[in-house]
Amino acid sequence: MIDVKNLHKSFGDKQVLCGIDEHIEKGEKVVVIGPSGSGKSTFLRCLNLLEKPTQGSIVFEGSDITAASGKELNRIRQKMGMVFQHFNLFPHLTIRKNITLAPVKLGLMSQAEADKKASELLLRVGLPEKADQYPAQLSGGQKQRIAIVRSLAMNPDVMLFDEPTSALDPEMVREVLDFMKQLATDGMTMVVVTHEMGFAREVGSRVLFMDEGRIVEQNKPEEFFAHPRDARLQEFLSKVL
Amino acid sequence: MSWFTGAWERFSNAFLEKDRYLSFLKGFGMTLEISLFAVILGVVLGILLAVAKYMAANHKSCRPLGWIANVYITVIRGTPVYVQMLIIYYLILTARGIPAIVSGVLCFGINSSAYVAEIIRAGIEAVDRGQMEAGRSLGLSEMQTMKEIIMPQAVRNILPALGNEFIVLIKETAVIGGITVLDVTKAAMNVGASSYDYLTPLLIAAAMYLVVVIILTKLLSMLERRLAKSDRR
Repeated sequence: MIDVKNLHKSFGDKQVLCGIDEHIEKGEKVVVIGPSGSGKSTFLRCLNLLEKPTQGSIVFEGSDITAASGKELNRIRQKMGMVFQHFNLFPHLTIRKNITLAPVKLGLMSQAEADKKASELLLRVGLPEKADQYPAQLSGGQKQRIAIVRSLAMNPDVMLFDEPTSALDPEMVREVLDFMKQLATDGMTMVVVTHEMGFAREVGSRVLFMDEGRIVEQNKPEEFFAHPRDARLQEFLSKVL
Repeated sequence: MSWFTGAWERFSNAFLEKDRYLSFLKGFGMTLEISLFAVILGVVLGILLAVAKYMAANHKSCRPLGWIANVYITVIRGTPVYVQMLIIYYLILTARGIPAIVSGVLCFGINSSAYVAEIIRAGIEAVDRGQMEAGRSLGLSEMQTMKEIIMPQAVRNILPALGNEFIVLIKETAVIGGITVLDVTKAAMNVGASSYDYLTPLLIAAAMYLVVVIILTKLLSMLERRLAKSDRR
């Protein structure tokens, strides 16, 4: 589904990604962990071209994203949902409008269809009463769940999560992770950058460890956590577990 | 009591006698007219400049547009409006016989546009970067994201500063007497000359400016409050 070859990214002189090769299958839940500054967020942001790679290719469902521009890129992004650390809800729009804006403006649904879809999704995430409120009236956990729902309204083929729980108060992490787990169970393809090791172990079908712009080690979660081979990964796990 | 009657006498001499209030009202009308057209011109030019600067900052191919806009803004903001007015007046009027009021509107419009452009640019930049990313990641185009997500938020940053710019502009037009336009300040000076009392007519003119500014300030804060709707908690 996503095929990454020899991906490089540098900001000025600073090399952030130093040659990443990765293949993500449909239905996989890939969890990316690593110390801060290891390039994991940049890797994720390259996947939908929020960061433009300096070198390498990313092929998504048969089309090369790095070569795409304008309308084609917009079309590809419709199929890749993205959830941000800081939610990035649209503060001037109601929750319902946050969810329906993109599908309606892009001509994928009528306002009535989008409203119906929004109601269904809000019900599913347990926040049907919030439809006519504004983002500022919601808690952090609720905001992030709405942000996920907003992406889901586009019927994406893959969901990218960029540290979705890092900006949340501890007691709100659970509700977001539970919803993500539910998504995973429903078969959504997911790429998740996170510091939640429990989530990686429980939900991930594969865990990647990144350090200094490279994928240093990857494995199925049981093996990954039980028998880490790389010294840096062992050190990292000893600090976070 | 005698102070009060004295003050009333001076006011009546400056404002009521010989229908002098007509000169004030005419001048006041002229001030408002020039301000209104200058504001419109300033906003239109300011938006164009801001778009040029935005495009230059985000698209390499548009860089020259940004340079032009920057030179324009630097020159306009770096020279006194009075000098600009005289230059435009002698450039346009003496050459082509166009009314002085046109020079005035052009001058204050052009002058204001440089400030308006910076206000708009700053207002757009103050919107969180994540908003553009969120819009683009949903598949919206840059234009759609600008229109639906960035601009509605930027307007709330822009309006208060823009309101202040309007207020500054209205007051700045007081120098337009320098190019023979009869605005309220010039009218007050004329009344002063014919009534041998400059102070009272100037105080009257000042009061007229003050009233407009207070009304504008009120309107603006009402508008701001309406725009702040989504800030409710």
